[in-house]
Amino acid sequence: MAPPLLELRQLAKSFGGARALRGVDFDLQAGEVHALLGENGAGKSTLIKIVTGAHQPDRGTIRVAGELVDHLTPATAHARGIACIYQQPALFPDLTVMENIALRLEAGAPFARVDWKGRRSRAVELLRRIGAEISPDAEVRSLSMPEQQLVEIACALGAGARIVIMDEPTASLTQKEQHLLFAVVRELRRSGVGVIYISHRLEEIFALADRVTVLRDGETVGTNPIAAINEAALIRMMVGREMTQIYPPSEAAPTEVALELRSLGCAEAGVTDVSFQVRAGEVFGLAGLVGAGRTELARILFGLTPADAGEIRLHGQVIHPRSAVEAVAAGIAYVPEDRRRHGVVLELPIAHNMTLAVQRRLFPRGWLRTEAEQSLALEFIRDLAIKCTGPDAPAGSLSGGNQQKVSLARWLATKPRLLILDEPTQGVDVGAKGEIHRIIRRLARSGLPVLLISSDLPEILGMSDRIGVMRAGRLVGVLPGGSDAHAVMAAALGQEQGAA
Amino acid sequence: MSVATPTSPAPRAWLALLRRHETILLLVLVAEWLFFYWAGTSTNRRGVVVGFGTLDRQFDILRHTCEIGLLALALTPVILTAGIDLSVGSLLGLCAIVFGGLWRDVGLSIPLAMALTLTCGAAAGGLNAVLITALRLPPLIVTLGTFSLFRGLAEAITRGAVTYTDFPTGFLALGQERALGLPTQAWVFAFAAVAVWLLVHRTTLGRSFRAIGFSPEGARYAGLPVNRRLAFVYILAGFIAAVAAVIYTARLGQAKADAGLGYELFAITAVVLGGTSIFGGAGSVHGTLLGVAAIAVLKNGLASLPIVIRLNAAEELSGVLTGALLLVALTASVIPRIVSRLRPRPAPPVSVP
Ligand SMILES: Nc1ncnc2c1ncn2[C@@H]1O[C@H](COP(=O)(O)OP(=O)(O)OP(=O)(O)O)[C@@H](O)[C@H]1O
Ligand SMILES: [Mg+2]
Repeated sequence: MAPPLLELRQLAKSFGGARALRGVDFDLQAGEVHALLGENGAGKSTLIKIVTGAHQPDRGTIRVAGELVDHLTPATAHARGIACIYQQPALFPDLTVMENIALRLEAGAPFARVDWKGRRSRAVELLRRIGAEISPDAEVRSLSMPEQQLVEIACALGAGARIVIMDEPTASLTQKEQHLLFAVVRELRRSGVGVIYISHRLEEIFALADRVTVLRDGETVGTNPIAAINEAALIRMMVGREMTQIYPPSEAAPTEVALELRSLGCAEAGVTDVSFQVRAGEVFGLAGLVGAGRTELARILFGLTPADAGEIRLHGQVIHPRSAVEAVAAGIAYVPEDRRRHGVVLELPIAHNMTLAVQRRLFPRGWLRTEAEQSLALEFIRDLAIKCTGPDAPAGSLSGGNQQKVSLARWLATKPRLLILDEPTQGVDVGAKGEIHRIIRRLARSGLPVLLISSDLPEILGMSDRIGVMRAGRLVGVLPGGSDAHAVMAAALGQEQGAA
Repeated sequence: MSVATPTSPAPRAWLALLRRHETILLLVLVAEWLFFYWAGTSTNRRGVVVGFGTLDRQFDILRHTCEIGLLALALTPVILTAGIDLSVGSLLGLCAIVFGGLWRDVGLSIPLAMALTLTCGAAAGGLNAVLITALRLPPLIVTLGTFSLFRGLAEAITRGAVTYTDFPTGFLALGQERALGLPTQAWVFAFAAVAVWLLVHRTTLGRSFRAIGFSPEGARYAGLPVNRRLAFVYILAGFIAAVAAVIYTARLGQAKADAGLGYELFAITAVVLGGTSIFGGAGSVHGTLLGVAAIAVLKNGLASLPIVIRLNAAEELSGVLTGALLLVALTASVIPRIVSRLRPRPAPPVSVP
């Protein structure tokens, strides 16, 4: 039998005091999709960064196609056919798809003449191979996130990648886009590429993977063929105890209207004529495709792109937030979609991040009070099970899911009058996800109106009392909480169905 | 709660302290001082040769440093927000002229002239603030413009010729006498240093400066009033520059349009030398103070070296060496990173077949 494409033995890595990997074994065969699973901070991303040469391991061996590799750098990893598709694609937004592909693939002497014909035919060929309907002349800026990911995959293929790594590629994709991505992954598998696939969504792993390896606290718990294991067993391997993945039941008793939008619109944000009501204690889900205007609506409510039409009433009072400062003063909290750029300040300590939005209340006279800050931070670190070396660790040293929890904690600390959650559980592991869902329920029960935006359809269906569906900047329907996935998808896609 | 246990805390904490920028800078400062103590000489007013280590000499350094020190204090919050203010040196000149003019030409009392000068400084900072926050222009460009504008105004007012002199002795005491055993202006400087330190390290304002410096978008999404905070740091910088102008006038006993020429560069050097990142976010006021001290000792110490005195090259040398010091300090701060990259990796264990 041919040696595995990739073989890792007893890999270990520490960051200062934090031991990210303690001894990981892993192997990847040609033509398989190998899922990597584990709680937030288990060491998945660290493992990937070692394989792509971004980090050097403290201990352990790496073999690529049977050959012992001593010192992997990003350049040598690339040369050995290892490619990584990041969640935030690293493309040049102002260049076209074709130019981006060319930049990745052409060695390029400084003054060589550009072979535009060759560039174009290669771009077209690569895009065709992965079945992407993207024009090579489109500016990357105009592409959606999943389309950009497809361009990244095209680059990886063009570079002759044998090992393609995807670290939470679907965290902000909706189901339709996921299906597109899955088709591409299956195509890669068919052509003999080995795919390492990281995700916290178990249903994806069952749909896609051939084998699954579970990490816990930087160690391999075990590797299993997907056919030989079920969901409960996987969760047990991940968290080390029994746990079910069910949504806490709604207990909303319809009370007075807390939030009311009347033909709200903003030309700049591309949102038109949105009207709905959210009652106190209700979780109002917002479903729709990427680009349907859900995040844009949230940004209007949070004053980032102020409305130019219509009216917002919060607890009976008309508000018109023209900036985030005003929105916060009115009691609005917004957990944003893009956690690395907006959700946390990566360089600031966890504790500072958590108190940034409550400075007024926590430090009324403007003097910092360390004890108050530390105790607030420790409380959230405990409640949300944030894995860290302490409240003074910079947020950037946390794993992705733990950063998301810090972003959430910042806004939970504000004791808001309206909570807007934009992809609140992206990149969060099953255990913490359940915890966040319970917190949302608890807040709703205390009378807080919650606006929940999520591209994780089961989450929207399981958590919402009512579901608003958006398409092209408009609200196209409001469905009751128990609706099934097909009804929501049909509305989001604009297919009149069921009603007929 | 799942807090990972550090593997070996004690030696690491010790090493971390040693690697801290401030520690390195303090060592450089001590080394500098000892060198000049050993090599430097100077003559006192009565023509007697005295060493570099005399108290008089230290006070002299302090006197000459207060204005640049104040500007460095003014620039620390600005640079923490990832901004820059090139106009503070020019503003010092403009404020000196305004002060002199208000006193002599307008005939105001010294305290009233001072109060108006400080207001004028804050207003000039406000101009920077408006251009930067309302028009969203980059601070480098805006303050490069006001750098020329303020100096030009000062020269226009005096037509390049007028020098204000003959200030009352009571006022000159601020720049030339001692109070409670220290040069008078040192008290002003100390007060400003404590105030800015508290602002940056102990208040929510200081926290916002860092957040804005690290990530302006992140700060906005956190609901921080980014524009108001930015306006504050530029207005504060203008105000402090005006304070420096008054002290400068008192020390020299004259106000001229070229007051504080080139000071902004020494001040920026001191701030960066003190470990404040020019990209914003990271830095400290005590670092800035150490940076100011390192530059001050260097400038004055050089002037005390016999060879430099003989060649009459103190100015030129101090410029060259200040630049060199900045490069050394910046390099020193990245050495630990380079060393850890060079360290050979432990040999991999025999692989399992
Ligand atoms: N640059 C760093 N500095 C310090 N600690 C780090 C750094 N990178 C990762 N860590 C720590 O290493 C551990 C593993 O992190 P890693 O990002 O690999 O987790 P993960 O399994 O990808 O988690 P997630 O599912 O949340 O993305 C975490 O405890 C994290 O805090
Ligand atoms: Mg990760």
